[in-house]
Parts: sequence; structure tokens; C-alpha cells
Amino acid sequence: MLIINCPYCGPRDQSEFSNGGEAHVKRPDGSKEIGDREWGEYVFIRANPKGLFYERWVHTHGCRKWFNCVRDTSTDEILVTYKLDEKKPNLNNFKSVVKTPSGEPEVGSGNFTVEK
Amino acid sequence: MKSINLKENQFIQFHQKISFKFDGVKYFGYKGDTIASALLRNNINLVGRSFKYHRPRGIYTCGIEEPNALVQIISEYSEPNTRATIKKIYEGMEIESQNRWPSLENDFGSINNLFSPIFTAGFYYKTFMGPHKKFWKNLYEPLIRRAAGLGKPPKDFKGVSNHIHHNVDVTIIGGGLNGLLAAKSLINSNYDVLLIDYEEQLGGIINNSNKISLIDNKEPKDWLKETIQEIEDSKNIKILKNTLVTTYNYVNHLIAIEDRFVGSKPIEGKVNSTLHKIRTGHTILCNGHIERFLSFQNNDLPGIMLSSSFEKYMCRYGLAPSKEPVIFSNNSNSNSLVYSLIKAGLKPKAYIDSRSGEEIEPNLFDLIRKNDVPLYTNSQIKGAFGNKKIEKILVEDSSGALNEIKCDCLCLSGGINPDVHLFTQSKGLLDWDEKDLTYKPSKPFQPTITLGSASGQFNFDNLNSDINEKLKTFKVKKLDVKLELNTNTKYHIEKLWEVSPQKKSLWAKSFIDLQNDVTTKDIRQAITEGFDRIEHLKRYTTNSMGTDQGKISSINALGIVSDLLDKKVNEVGTTIYRPPYAPLSFSAIAGRNCYEFYDPERKSPIHSWHLKNGAIFEDVGQWKRPWYFQINKDESMHDAVQRESKNVRENAGILDGSTLGKIEIKGEDALEFMNLIYTNSFTKMRQGSARYALMLGEDGMVKDDGIICKISDQHFIATTTTGGAATVLGCMEEYAQTEWPNLKVFMNSITEQYATFNISGPKAREIMKKAFPNINFSNEEFPFMTFQFHEFNGIPIRILRASFTGELGYEIYIPSNSAPKIWDNIQSFGKEFGLAPYGTEAMHLLRAEKGYIIVGQDTDGSITPIDLGLSWMIGKSKKDFLGKRSLTRSDTIREDRKQLVGIIPSNKADKLEEGQHIILDKEIKSPVPMLGHITSCYYSSTLGHDFALAVIKNGHSMIGTKAYASTSSMSTTGVDIVKPVFYDEDNKRLVS
Ligand SMILES: [Zn+2]
Repeated sequence: MLIINCPYCGPRDQSEFSNGGEAHVKRPDGSKEIGDREWGEYVFIRANPKGLFYERWVHTHGCRKWFNCVRDTSTDEILVTYKLDEKKPNLNNFKSVVKTPSGEPEVGSGNFTVEK
Repeated sequence: MKSINLKENQFIQFHQKISFKFDGVKYFGYKGDTIASALLRNNINLVGRSFKYHRPRGIYTCGIEEPNALVQIISEYSEPNTRATIKKIYEGMEIESQNRWPSLENDFGSINNLFSPIFTAGFYYKTFMGPHKKFWKNLYEPLIRRAAGLGKPPKDFKGVSNHIHHNVDVTIIGGGLNGLLAAKSLINSNYDVLLIDYEEQLGGIINNSNKISLIDNKEPKDWLKETIQEIEDSKNIKILKNTLVTTYNYVNHLIAIEDRFVGSKPIEGKVNSTLHKIRTGHTILCNGHIERFLSFQNNDLPGIMLSSSFEKYMCRYGLAPSKEPVIFSNNSNSNSLVYSLIKAGLKPKAYIDSRSGEEIEPNLFDLIRKNDVPLYTNSQIKGAFGNKKIEKILVEDSSGALNEIKCDCLCLSGGINPDVHLFTQSKGLLDWDEKDLTYKPSKPFQPTITLGSASGQFNFDNLNSDINEKLKTFKVKKLDVKLELNTNTKYHIEKLWEVSPQKKSLWAKSFIDLQNDVTTKDIRQAITEGFDRIEHLKRYTTNSMGTDQGKISSINALGIVSDLLDKKVNEVGTTIYRPPYAPLSFSAIAGRNCYEFYDPERKSPIHSWHLKNGAIFEDVGQWKRPWYFQINKDESMHDAVQRESKNVRENAGILDGSTLGKIEIKGEDALEFMNLIYTNSFTKMRQGSARYALMLGEDGMVKDDGIICKISDQHFIATTTTGGAATVLGCMEEYAQTEWPNLKVFMNSITEQYATFNISGPKAREIMKKAFPNINFSNEEFPFMTFQFHEFNGIPIRILRASFTGELGYEIYIPSNSAPKIWDNIQSFGKEFGLAPYGTEAMHLLRAEKGYIIVGQDTDGSITPIDLGLSWMIGKSKKDFLGKRSLTRSDTIREDRKQLVGIIPSNKADKLEEGQHIILDKEIKSPVPMLGHITSCYYSSTLGHDFALAVIKNGHSMIGTKAYASTSSMSTTGVDIVKPVFYDEDNKRLVS
């Protein structure tokens, strides 16, 4: 279980939060013509990378605010949380621990226990 | 094995006698004894039968690593698989051995030992695969389940446990020498510290062995007492005893279980265990090491135990399990047992070491010589023999000659391993130490520090510098502790994993996993059959898959495998140690979240009236809702529902609709927001009017429905389905925050603040007039789908004219606290008009007659408003709303989508069933093309026959045609596809 730093309340237990999937997915403007492909991608397609990922969370059992974060999906580490109206951080600012050819982090993947 | 009591000590006093029962026989032990030490004191060596072969087994260790001595505690709801080496006895305790029938001495299942050549690795997979699955289910599985296994499940268990959360800077796991020193250096620092030990007394190696002679020139016992006192006096350190850390999760999250009734019988109803959930900045692992055993023929006989365990029985329990044990070792760790025995006036029967005379520690050599202990160097035990206990051993000495030694006890030491379970659970990496022949912690993944033997420091020379260096980050005072030892200071080991038996035999067994009955032969066979990856090998042989996770043996298996494959142990790797470190009961995990606290029950303000008036409840989410009301005990559900619904159609009924979700939406931009959330357009809607509305997902599918009341452009009240209330509010909040933050709008749940009564039926108006005489309920003053605010006896109420039954209806919204009074009022005024309460089942029947859908029953997340025939609810002039664009996706404009229709049996006497398929042919011949299915189905006494709602392919264009409905008896019923309205199609009754 993770500790998640709510930008409004501070660090809280993961059990207070709900995950909201990929962040920075913009809803197409309904007042304009929207193509099938553009709308389909908005409704159905989300990224699912191994490594650094912009993600949305909501403090369900707290302030009920939505916010964004950068999470390393290979280690589960949440590197930064920020409010919705804040600029998204550049991923190059973070060190990705995914190094091995198979995409496993050097330490902490849980897939092996002995140093290679 | 004949044991002998030694001197009393601070843990055991011989005048405090305790009686207990083992397999029905009464014995005596002392206060402080574990089950194991008490049994050994009574010279009981046979304590259980093994998992697969039912071989006699004894007590192998003196702690958490015990693979054999698992017992059932009859006096504690028959708690199974309890480690006899941990559990303390108390007066009147009743214990039974496990996995034997009819008795421990004469166990029928031991016949498995005779058949053992066929029960080898992969036996189950090979034997029970194949065409005759029936044999497995009916014959093999029941047989094996009876024969193989551990204890029996507990009876009538109602354990009580609680959870405690901790948030600290530093957690020290293990209160032995290193744990105490780490705590000592953090005394009165600015850190919140938790010190955890699974034993009742802190001290670890100081209590368990005679290795250390002086600490800071004091007797170890005295130093221990002083140090514990200092730590206890320190304001920033909390000590948890009898607490075992079982789990080390991400972000330094630890789970530990505390036994609250050590050495006494748990009191019923009192918390008997506490689960500690710990958040910590740093974790300091001082959980020490575990001694390994060695593999040779019959290394499982009762009377064989680990040498450090024998010493622990001496030091901690004042008990020598045998007066003259034989010691067999390949390393220096067993030195201190020789020292302890001689110090106690006892003497090993023989000392056998696989190492050469030059490699053996000189002071051990002297000790052995001085006391005339028979010494065998460069020697190995080929096997142990005896009937249900060890009687003799066969030793191959340096010349290759075989020596038979009679003995009643054999102490083994195959070397020691740091206890790396928690470290690897934390995702830290291990590295093989070729000199010490063990895996040691190498790279931590989290802020984890390892100290002492847990870090692989098996010598004491670097004690101070190691602690000072590793605790540098805390900037605390440096330690300078002086240690003097009774035995050697340098750990030394020679490689030895297994001694091959003297005679090759199919029945010769050298065990590598005692708990799961895995032999070294199984390991060989698995590798021959190609299971040479360590994770495969583990599953194929079940090695280290017992509840002890192979604590004393898993490294030996790796050693054997590495030799067989001619690979370095690091290349072989190790299987992953998984939490929990030791089994913990489900009741501890559940804590208070069980029985009445498992899932909260939500009750309407009228609940107690329902109870008094024959309500039978159904669960709707967490809500308890009256399903139907029984007027007497003999009334069947069918009769009650028909009576209730008929009464609504002829007179009037009242429904407690308080569970309906209610959301208040307010703000400058509330109108624009509502237009974006729901399909309907609210712009032209008059103030004080209401509208049935649909909410879609972005995929265009119906997600919820409800009635929206418009108080003004800045103020709306929405109702939701009972189950959908939280989701709808969550969805509104999400879009308000993430997509339309520019809109000034707020929303709040008012579900529990207001009770709701639905009064419906042709006499509803008369009843309302009587109950609220000051209100004009005429059609002109109070038309359909409008609402009004009123005050009734000082209580603010809102009345909405709407209907879910198809009859004239009113919904009254009342602050919850005033609701019971008004409910009673209406009941008394309604009596003369035949008003009667009705439940959710009658409501479902009535709404289905009228063709009103229930989201989640008639829809399943793949149905659009168009599929439901509700296109009129879509605000086509609106630029945008949730899911709007999806209604013109290629998939949603398909003509052959499943659409809502009505179904009636062609022969009115026929029955229909919910969930059955609608098909085109009378004969069921596979493959049957699927058209769709019946979503709601009832008998209607108004119609006089069954009727149903269904979603079927191209349904709208099939109205007026005939089809078939499948039945649960695999036949079909002819049906007519009709419009999904069965009652008052032109809404005359609604607006009457
Ligand atoms: Zn918050």
C-alpha cells in the first residue's frame, strides 16, 4: 500500500484514494465537429506504459478533489503529485529505474531476488 | 530421549507447575514452558505424523522455524497447525497431535511410507492427468484429502482481534543484541521508534545461548536488564513484545501480529490478537539468523534436532532434552553447544565434524580433548535408525570405516543463514557468500538497514563499527560496547549439503523438506525430468511450499541443485520469499470488519415501522428495503406482491423510497452543468417542474436515471437509483473538476437528509387532501411533473407529483428526523381509502406493467437511450452532453442492436422466466442464433397472465411478430413481441 501525497490534504493512506487512469487526456470540444477516430480514441484508448506515467487520482475518502501525479508503474513509486491546473512536469526530470532489456527495474521488481 | 531438568532461571521456575493434556493424557510442565519444552520434559518425542508418508516426527527446533511439531489446540476452538515450539502452555490446555488415525503410535496412514516409491515428485500431476477425471473427483481427491494434510479446521471459531496503526520514524525488528544496541543508540533522540520482538523476553542470542561471556564487563543477564530498563524509560521508544512481523510491503509498510494471551487461555469475547499496521521511515532488520539442518538417511527421526535449538532449550527453559546427545556439524556454530553441555555437567556422546582436525576451532578442540568426548573429524553421518525414535547412527570416519553409535538424541548444524525473508519481501536483492555458504542481503530497495547476523555478520568483531556506520544517517551517539565470548569468534563452515545413504534402496529417505515430505531424491528426479529452474522445481516437488517455507532447509536445496547443475548458487537463484513470514489467522486480518461490522447496513428512517408491520427485507446495495409486507405468517410472497400491487391499482399504496439517491446541485452555472451531465435539455423547463432524465457514459450507454426538479436555473435537485447514488455524485464531481472547471457549480449528497414517500393509486389525491388539508391538489393547481414546497406543522416538506407505478402519484420529501411522524399520519388518514404499504417487488411489477425500465436490470451498460425507445429524452439541440457524440458512432447506429420490447406468452396460460433467451425456432437445435433475453418478468393479476420486458436484436422492428422463449426445462414457449407498455398506454391515469 502506498502513501499518496494529496496536494490539498498532504500524505494519506492509499485506501483513501481511487485511481482515475491516464491523466492529461483532453475531452474533445462537443461544440465542434468530432471525427469518429478522434472521439473513439478519447473514449476507449489509454496508454499503459511500463515506467513513468501521468495518472489521475481522486481523494475519495478525503477532500474528494481530483489531482494528477507521475507514477512509475514498474516500481509503484509516486514521484510527484500536482493540482489539475498545474503544468505537467517534464518526465525527463525523473530518473526512470527501468534499465534492464526486459524492462525490469534493477531492484524492486519482485521478479527475482538475487543480484544478477 | 531422556531429558533432564537443569537449573532454574529467570524464565522458568520449577515450583510453578502447570497441568495440560496431550492426546488425552495429563502431563505437567512449568510456567514459561512452550508445548514443545513441556513435552520434552515429559520425555515425549513423538508429536506428529508427516504430511505425505505419515512418518513419525518429533520436535526439530525451538522456535518459529519448526517444520514438524505442529499441533491442534483443542482448548482454543481446535486451532490447528500451531507451532509447539512457540505456543506457551497454560493450566488446563488441551493439545492433540495431527494427521494420524486412529492414534499417534499406531497410524494407519503410515502405510503410505510403504508405498512411498510411487509418491515421488510430480506424482499428483502424472497420476491424475488424463481422461478419467471422474476418478480424481470421486476417488483420489477424497482419499488424498483424508490421508495427506495437516490439522483439522477449527470449530465454532469466533476470534476477536483488532487493528492498531503506527506511524513512526524507525522500526527495529528483533530485540536481540543488535536490536537492543540499535534501540540504545536511539534512546531520547528525536525519532519515534518501535522495537518489535516475537518473544516474551527481549535478548535473543543472550538468552538463547552461552556464546557471550561478558558485555561491558558485566554478566550478559545484568547488562540485558539494565539496557532494557534504559530503553523502557526512554520517551521515544515503544516496545512490542509477542509480536511477529509477518509482512514487509512497499513504502516501509509493515504488518505485525501480536498474541495478547501468551501463556494463558484466551478469554472469550476479548481481543486475542492485535494486527499492527506500521508505517515507518526506516526499518532496521535485526531478526537474526536461522540454523540449517543436514540431509542424510532418516534425518527426520524423532530425537533429531538442531544444535542451536538444543542449546536454547538449555539456556531458556532449563532443560536438556537429552543427557548425552551426539553432535554432527560442518561449521563453528555448534561450538557453543559443546561448551553449554560441559558447563551444565553433561557431555556429548560424540562430536562428529565433516571438517578436518586442522579446520576445527582450537578452543573447541581443547574442550573436547579435556573432557574425553569421542571426536570424529572428516566424518559424516550416513544414516540414523530406530523405531519411531532415534536409536543409533552410522558414522563414516576419515578412514572410510563405518562406526555404529547408540544414542537417543542427535544435534545437527548445517550452518546458518541470515533470516532474509523480510528483506526479500521488501524487494531487496540477495547475494551468495561463497565463504559463508549462504545468501546475504545486498542491495536494499527501501530505506532498510540490516544489522548483525541478519545482515550476514556472523562474527562479533565489527559489532560497533558496523552499527555506527549503518546508523550514521540518524546522527546519534556512537556505540562502544565491549564483548567477550565463551567460544570462537570467527564463523567457519565447510560445504556439506547431503550425505548419501550407505545402501541404495527405494525406501531410503533423506529429507530436504520435512514439512512437505520432500526428499533429496525428489529434487534429483525433478531435475532429470527437466524442472531445473528453481521456481519450477519448487512447484514440481513442493519443496519449501509448507507453512514453514522451508526455513531450515531451502538453502540446502539450492546447494544440492547448484551441484547437480554444476552452476554457481547465484546463478541458480532462489525462489521468492512471500509474505506472511509465518501463518496468521484470517480473524486477525479481518479485525473488527466482521459480523455486524463487515458491511454497514443502511436503514431508512421508517425502518422500525417496517419491522413492526411484517416487512420482509431485501438488500439493495447496503440498504435494507422492504421487499413485501406479510399480513400474516401464511401469506406467500406471490400472494403478498399480487395483493399489494392490486391495491395500488384499485385504491392506493405507499412506498418508502427514502433510499433513492438525492443530489442537490447549486451555483451560477448549474443549468449549463445539468445540460452537460444529462441527455435532457433543462433550459426551457419551467421553475417548479420536474423531468425524467437519463445519464450516459461517454460511450453513449445508459448509466443512471432519475427525476430532476428545477427550483431555478441556479438550483436543481436530482434523484438517482438507490445503487447509483455514489457513482452519479462521483461522476458529477469528476466532470465539474476535470472537464468544466470554469463552471461555477457545487453538488452535495442529501440522500440521508431526506426521507421519501411515494403515495400512488387512484385514491392518492383523496389521501393527500386529508393528510395535508392546506394544499390544493387539483390538476390545475398541482399538475403532473411539478413540485411544491410547503410547511406542515412547522416541518418543511417538498411534494412532487410523479409516478413510477403508472397511477396518480405523489412523492413527499421530508427531513429524515420528522419522517416517522408524517408516515404515521398518512397511514391513519389513508386507512378509510384502503391505503396499504407496498414493497420493492410490487413496485417492480407495477413499473414493468407501465414499461418503465430499471437501470441495471433492463440495461446492462450496453444499451443506449435509442435502444430503449427513449430518443425523445435526448436534447438534440444541445451542443454537448456526456456521451452525445457516441450516439452517432458506427456501432450505436447499427440497426440490429438489442432493443427493448415487451413479451407476452402467445398462450396466456404459459409461464415466462427471467433471463431466458428469445429465439426464432420452436426446436432448440444448436447452434441457436441468439436474439437476446428476458430482462424482467412477472405475473400480473391486472393483466391476468405473465408478461416480460426483453432486449432483443432489431427488437423495435420485430414488434407484432412471434418468437419463442427458452425455458429452464430445455423446451420453448411461443411468445408475442409487443410494445414495452402493458398498462394505460396513453397515460390517462398519470394525469387524472
Ligand atoms: Zn485531499
